[in-house]
Amino acid sequence: MKRYLQQWRYPGNWSLFRSDDRLLLIIFAIIVGVCSGLAALLLNRGLESMLEWLHHYRAYWWAIFLPAIGAALSSLFLDKIVNEGAGHGVPEVIYAVSRYGGLLRLRSSFSRLISSCLTIGSGGSAGPEAPVVMSGAAIGSNIAQAFSLNDRQRVALVGCGAAGAIAAIFNAPIAGMVFAVEVILGEWSTMNIVPIAIAAVAGTEISRLLKGNQIVFEHLQFTIHFHDILACVGLAIFCALASIVLTRLLRFMQRYSKDTPLPLWLRAAVGGTMVGIIGFFLPQVLGEGYHFIRSAIEGGFTHGLILVALITLFKMIATSLTLGWGGSGGIFAPCLVIGASMGLSFHRLIASLWSNVAWVSEGCFALLGMAGLISGILQAPLTGIFLVIELTGGYEVILPLIVVSAVSTTLCHYIEPASFYLKDLVDQGQLLRPGTDARVLTDLRIPELLETDCICVHPDLRLADFIPIVKASHRNFFPVEDRSTGHFLGMIHLDDIRPYLFDPSMHHAVLTGQVMDTNVKTVSLYDDLSDVLQTMDNDRIFSMPVVSDSRFLGMISKATILDQYRKELIIQTGPF
Amino acid sequence: MQSLATALDIPLSTVERWARQGRIPIQRKGNEAIFSRAALNRWASIHQLTFDLDNSPNDNPSSETFDTLLAVMKRGNVFHHLKGNDKNEVLRSVVNCIDFFPSDVQNELLEKLLAREQLASTGIGNGIAIPHPRDPISRAPASPFISTCFLEKPTPFSAIDDQPVSILFLLISPTVKHHLHLLSRLSYCIRDKAFVAFLHTRPEPQALFSHVGALEKQLDEH
Repeated sequence: MKRYLQQWRYPGNWSLFRSDDRLLLIIFAIIVGVCSGLAALLLNRGLESMLEWLHHYRAYWWAIFLPAIGAALSSLFLDKIVNEGAGHGVPEVIYAVSRYGGLLRLRSSFSRLISSCLTIGSGGSAGPEAPVVMSGAAIGSNIAQAFSLNDRQRVALVGCGAAGAIAAIFNAPIAGMVFAVEVILGEWSTMNIVPIAIAAVAGTEISRLLKGNQIVFEHLQFTIHFHDILACVGLAIFCALASIVLTRLLRFMQRYSKDTPLPLWLRAAVGGTMVGIIGFFLPQVLGEGYHFIRSAIEGGFTHGLILVALITLFKMIATSLTLGWGGSGGIFAPCLVIGASMGLSFHRLIASLWSNVAWVSEGCFALLGMAGLISGILQAPLTGIFLVIELTGGYEVILPLIVVSAVSTTLCHYIEPASFYLKDLVDQGQLLRPGTDARVLTDLRIPELLETDCICVHPDLRLADFIPIVKASHRNFFPVEDRSTGHFLGMIHLDDIRPYLFDPSMHHAVLTGQVMDTNVKTVSLYDDLSDVLQTMDNDRIFSMPVVSDSRFLGMISKATILDQYRKELIIQTGPF
Repeated sequence: MQSLATALDIPLSTVERWARQGRIPIQRKGNEAIFSRAALNRWASIHQLTFDLDNSPNDNPSSETFDTLLAVMKRGNVFHHLKGNDKNEVLRSVVNCIDFFPSDVQNELLEKLLAREQLASTGIGNGIAIPHPRDPISRAPASPFISTCFLEKPTPFSAIDDQPVSILFLLISPTVKHHLHLLSRLSYCIRDKAFVAFLHTRPEPQALFSHVGALEKQLDEH
């Protein structure tokens, strides 16, 4: 019986899956997609009931402290109970994928759900998507770990989790799939896309079963003219600007709150109070803000240009206050709100400037603004395009949508080369997309490149006794070790002693200790290969001794690095 | 796992990492590694890696062993009373002694020997010459041999010391490496004055071989 169970733990070993694991991945993708879809629905329900429950208290003046309480509770929960950092979690997922083969903790699968439910439900300006992505990814990762799948399969399942979550929460399978591939994995290969697509389908199906097939925002018919597409370019520029301002604002708030000498939960409370104050005057900025988007698209939002522009500005401030000061939630929904209000303001602006032109309705511009902001912030144009198409169920807007997304992404890329999710990782040099130089260099460890065919000598050897060793060696380098301690002392390079080797009068006069180079740069076993190569390039050396605990272990040379590098590159980029 | 790493010419730790990362079709089950030969072969050919699990790792060429001079000389035999009035005729009769070569190989060999002599004489002084082709002949024997030939009368060979030559060592080897190895051993023996004097007595094979064996032992101990 136990053996039978043991067999189940290693599905990778079943003869059915042994040579080709595509079927295995597809089966697991369905499971992961369903689970992450359920997680997404859970958060959705939680948020809804929380909003309903708190709705009655909104009228009181002390409601301005509600976001503070929620943010403080969520920060306490993350910090003290599950011991995880604040923030939205997507960078952590990308980091895990690029560095640890998608290894995530089990508690991550629920921690962000609870904390973001507290933050957003109480009125904090954040979105439920990133927490759900984190949960889905953690679910995928932990299912893979439970069944002892390898890193590649685990990364695919992490992507499946993210895709299933996004697909379920937006009822948007393609957006989920594209998001997982474009943002989380960064690698387009059939090995990943097929299971991720399956997971997106499973997640969407679960959400449709339990919630009904409702499109988040009502589909409207738009008739788009050529001048609208022209206007889109202007909108895209505004969207790009808004994306950059939001990114900068978030980072500024993060830095500023870090310098504040307050405990984490109190910082979150300070941010929450400020959000509450803003929300008291502009209730539209509170929460995930889908209600506002809906009215914007349907044209039900009738206030003037100034108010809409104010909403845009204060939504940005509220979002950065919530997330930057320690609240928990995603950037997705605030982006949609900011984008929609941006689109509205832009429409109001051009409508007042060229009042005789028959512009398409303002709802369409709200849609385009959403796509522009998502594309700009995430620098993922495809995600923006597909998300907005699926959110609204309309295909007519595709042309201006592509224009806005492309222009916005490009402009943002000029000013902020790394997207919001990746900026921290890029700053730390930890963004390792598959098949890149950094990725290969991180995977290759120095122990794998060690050349151990060097002959060690002692420093008290006469040159005459050294010559037979030169004869027997294949190498130009001879490490010198202390006779009693075995410690590494220096290197003898054949080039340095060549003149003396052929001079018999020197044979008995020179000791190896005299001709060795004690000032050699050494490498330790756990150095980063990119640093080693950097040193080699700077000093124009071809090989370096590897020394650990002052003991010589071997040489590392560019020739071996190239050989292994090439094999690694073939393995990483080739088909499986 | 180790044999697999050797077959791929990759460190063991790399293979283990690849298995963990799922880049090579090997499954782990506790401490065991499970793989199917067919899947691995397919994997290797897709990634254009050289991979041969059946090759024993001892086959690599660096560990090839060289025959001793004595064995090579025994293989080549000793010939007495070779006739000839000049270089060409002497070499012709030397080549004729190598009776296990078919006649076309003999002709090729003679041609190459003469070409080598044109380049520079192989007479190394003291009445000794080591004729050899400059590069291995097209149908070289699997193992090298040295034929020791004593001439009937000393023949002018335009040697470096202008003395006529009466002793020839015909050196045929399959590779340049073998050639250099044997040449270095042979010239060690010929540097020995007593051995040269002994050679000029035109000894019988048994006496010659025992002398060479003794000298070679001395060389190895040195």
